Amino acid sequence: MVSFDVIAEAGETRRGQLQINDRTLETPHLFPVVNFYGGGNEPALFGGGIHRTVKEFMVNHPPTTGGTDYSDLFGGVMTSISSLTDYGIREKKLEEYLDNEIREWGKFSDYDGMIFADSGGYKILKQGGELEGEDFTKDITQDKALDMQLDLGPDIVVNLDHPIHPDDEFEERIEKMEKTAVNARQLAKRRDEVDGACYLTVHGYYEAMLERSFDAIENELDKPIPEVFDGIALGSLVPRKDNVEVLIEAVSDCRLEMQQRGYNDLPLHVFGISGNAMPLLVAVGADTFDSASYLHQAINGKYCVNLFETVPVEEADFHACDCRICNDGLHRDRMRNRLDDLYQKDILGSVAAHNLAIQQRELRRFRQLIAEADEDQIAAYLEEAVKDQKGFRKFAYKLINERIKPYFDDDGETSYA
Amino acid sequence: MNESSHTSTTMERQAMHKTPKVNEVNEFIEIASDFEDPLEVIREALSNSYDAEATWVEIEIKQDDEGRNTLIIEDDGHGMDEQDLESFFDLGNSNKHDAIGYKGHGTKIYYKSDEIRVESVKDGNHVESVMEQPWETLNNHELPTYSVDTEETDETSGTRIEVHGFRAGQGFDPEQLTYNKIEHYIKWKTIGGSTAWHFDDDFHEFDIEVTLSPQIDNTRKPIETTNKLEFPDENLHPDGEFVAERMCKHFPPRELTVTLDDGRELTIEVVGMVGGKEARNELPTYGKHSAQFGIWLAKDHIKVERYNDAIGADNEFFHFFFVANCQSLELSANREKIRNKSGDVYQAITNELERFMTKVCQEEWYRDYIARRKLEDKKRSVQSQESSLQDRLVKTKEQGGLSPSNPAEVIAALERYSANGSPETVEIADFRMDEEVNAIVNTDDGYKNAALQAKLSDFFEDETPLTHIDRFICWKVGDRDALTKIERASYLGDPIRFDFSNNEVTYGEEDKKTIPVLELVDKM
Repeated sequence: MVSFDVIAEAGETRRGQLQINDRTLETPHLFPVVNFYGGGNEPALFGGGIHRTVKEFMVNHPPTTGGTDYSDLFGGVMTSISSLTDYGIREKKLEEYLDNEIREWGKFSDYDGMIFADSGGYKILKQGGELEGEDFTKDITQDKALDMQLDLGPDIVVNLDHPIHPDDEFEERIEKMEKTAVNARQLAKRRDEVDGACYLTVHGYYEAMLERSFDAIENELDKPIPEVFDGIALGSLVPRKDNVEVLIEAVSDCRLEMQQRGYNDLPLHVFGISGNAMPLLVAVGADTFDSASYLHQAINGKYCVNLFETVPVEEADFHACDCRICNDGLHRDRMRNRLDDLYQKDILGSVAAHNLAIQQRELRRFRQLIAEADEDQIAAYLEEAVKDQKGFRKFAYKLINERIKPYFDDDGETSYA
Repeated sequence: MNESSHTSTTMERQAMHKTPKVNEVNEFIEIASDFEDPLEVIREALSNSYDAEATWVEIEIKQDDEGRNTLIIEDDGHGMDEQDLESFFDLGNSNKHDAIGYKGHGTKIYYKSDEIRVESVKDGNHVESVMEQPWETLNNHELPTYSVDTEETDETSGTRIEVHGFRAGQGFDPEQLTYNKIEHYIKWKTIGGSTAWHFDDDFHEFDIEVTLSPQIDNTRKPIETTNKLEFPDENLHPDGEFVAERMCKHFPPRELTVTLDDGRELTIEVVGMVGGKEARNELPTYGKHSAQFGIWLAKDHIKVERYNDAIGADNEFFHFFFVANCQSLELSANREKIRNKSGDVYQAITNELERFMTKVCQEEWYRDYIARRKLEDKKRSVQSQESSLQDRLVKTKEQGGLSPSNPAEVIAALERYSANGSPETVEIADFRMDEEVNAIVNTDDGYKNAALQAKLSDFFEDETPLTHIDRFICWKVGDRDALTKIERASYLGDPIRFDFSNNEVTYGEEDKKTIPVLELVDKM
């Protein structure tokens, strides 16, 4: 059973509840990207390094967490079939991985969050449509991708897509959109095999492009989209992730397109974006996100001060942070490298958990504001968030003026300071 | 060291305090000379009258036939008594604390004259005071004196200051003055251009009149204005095809509050407008407009200097006229500069102002206005395109059709030639405007590298090597004399021959190469 209920709205911003079988997720929500199969065996949670530490936070492994349960940071996670071979495994190992669903592995048996199994279209397309291991390559078709996604025991699956690129020629783009649409049809055929939600990928940076993407899919399907799919996932934005104006336009136009086609009740997921752009994208109607940036930042020794700023972890002021990780002496000591026998993974694992906590905290605040359905507060929140971000604030102010509440009313009266 | 010197050292160690001395005469000279801009006299006069709560002030500047200047400043303020007169003539003895002219320097500019005469009525007392030859006396290293006569009166309060023989040249040259310049100055640099009335309910308004004698400026009537700087009328959505110039929007007064790290609170009072050129021209500006528009930082609601960085690089400052007043700004003695620029106060003010201006720039009307301007510019360029097209049409008719002047037009001629049954196939397969061998043509003998030229002779002017050229295609041969000259001299070191009876160019000594030439002009 899948349902998505919008429980509060403020302008185009909305708060929702995504229910899949017996799991519920409050939106807007960020799915942190987790690689469940980082090489190695189950006792080591498949792989060492920071990936392992993150999974230990996820399943509440006391020696790592210090006994405090941080698993709510991972209320829903994103993983991809392409990540199965991230560590160059042999085919035999791949089969072993796929033999058991994630929750059937002992270490993950208590994990109660949602698992969003991505098809890994971007990476697979880059590898010429193949999944490459150490001693094998596999052609990945829609059917094979779905088989593998289902083997993970997912709550959400998505069709194998062919992401577009800003530099694509028109013809190339059309070809990719058509291939994505054919895959969507194939997933639709096997809808009944999925005991969870099926998401549909669409691609485009602005309305005309998105219109074409939706049209291509509708032409392939013999049923209306909402009868087959439970959510829309907007892809191809990662190459434009530093251009917040493009992101806002893409998400906003996608929402508009969904409205016009009558799919407004479906949740909108934005692939691969998190951090500083999130509040602005929520404000134009994005419901969920996924990103590995919390992890990548940590790997690079960066500690998030807020959504916009990072500092080298050695320079971080943990006492200025109100997150639970920074309020925990054990993690402060780890991040400061004050304990004996610390490995990088111990130091950076805590940093990654902190970085994620910062992003989740912002979304939690945002959810509370939306629940109050007060546009003034949302505008004030956005304004406060971008106050010192020169590059961002003009987009934020534009968005507030156009979509939420103008700073200068037409009658000459000011709305708020 | 002997005993006696020891004793005297002990005695000298007794505490000794000295008071720094002021050379009063030099100070007066210095300060009177310190005002470099002649218009500062007007600023001082207006500030003093405003501080005296006058409802009107009249300033008259006269010049007699011998070039002697007289300033007369009269107002209906609360007047001066004997003590106030002391402040007027003394140095650094102002009794004003929170007013604009609190330093007590301003009136000293009048010392550069032959006579200062002050008449004032305050609380039923009439005071009359005269200082003779102040400038000459100071230059003789003496302090000038002034007389004071007091008597009771039933006149209403007010002050009249006459300054005779005010020095021209060094600090004040009435001949440089014009009404336009003064009006601009009043509105931009003095209390006469105040934006306080937007914020203060008890705003004290006063009328200002400035008269120049006809010898100085006889071009227009005296200036009559107030101490309010007013924006042009709003014109939010005018009708018409080209209206962006007239568009204007007011951004109403707003108080921005900033808290500094040490807990101090700053208030910034911002008010302003955005508008097109016509609207902005209604502002009392004179001379170089680019120096007037943008974002002004102000104190006492009088503009000090601009901070156009607040607008951001995406926007051009001249659309804006905003005044941001903050009493925490500290000014230099002549009010020309902000003194506390390196401090956190200035930083906080400018940061907040940048945020505010981003809001203005992301406001829907503003964005519409900018879009409209762009559109109208395009429309204007279409109009000029139209007239240039008409010119071209006339010229084309005159020459009776296509007459290529560039390679692209040669392609058009070639197409026409092919379409009209040319004996051989020559089709453009690839064309790159900027390359030396700019075309590949598909012919009956396969693909050939070709050089397309309006005039063949131009090709040789550029001394392009012939190594990779299989064909020449030109509209006409061009300057045959120039070609003959090349033929006689050689081309890039090798012999060349232009044979136009056979339409070919032969080039080279041992590996002689023949390049066919297709001249289109006679084939059309």
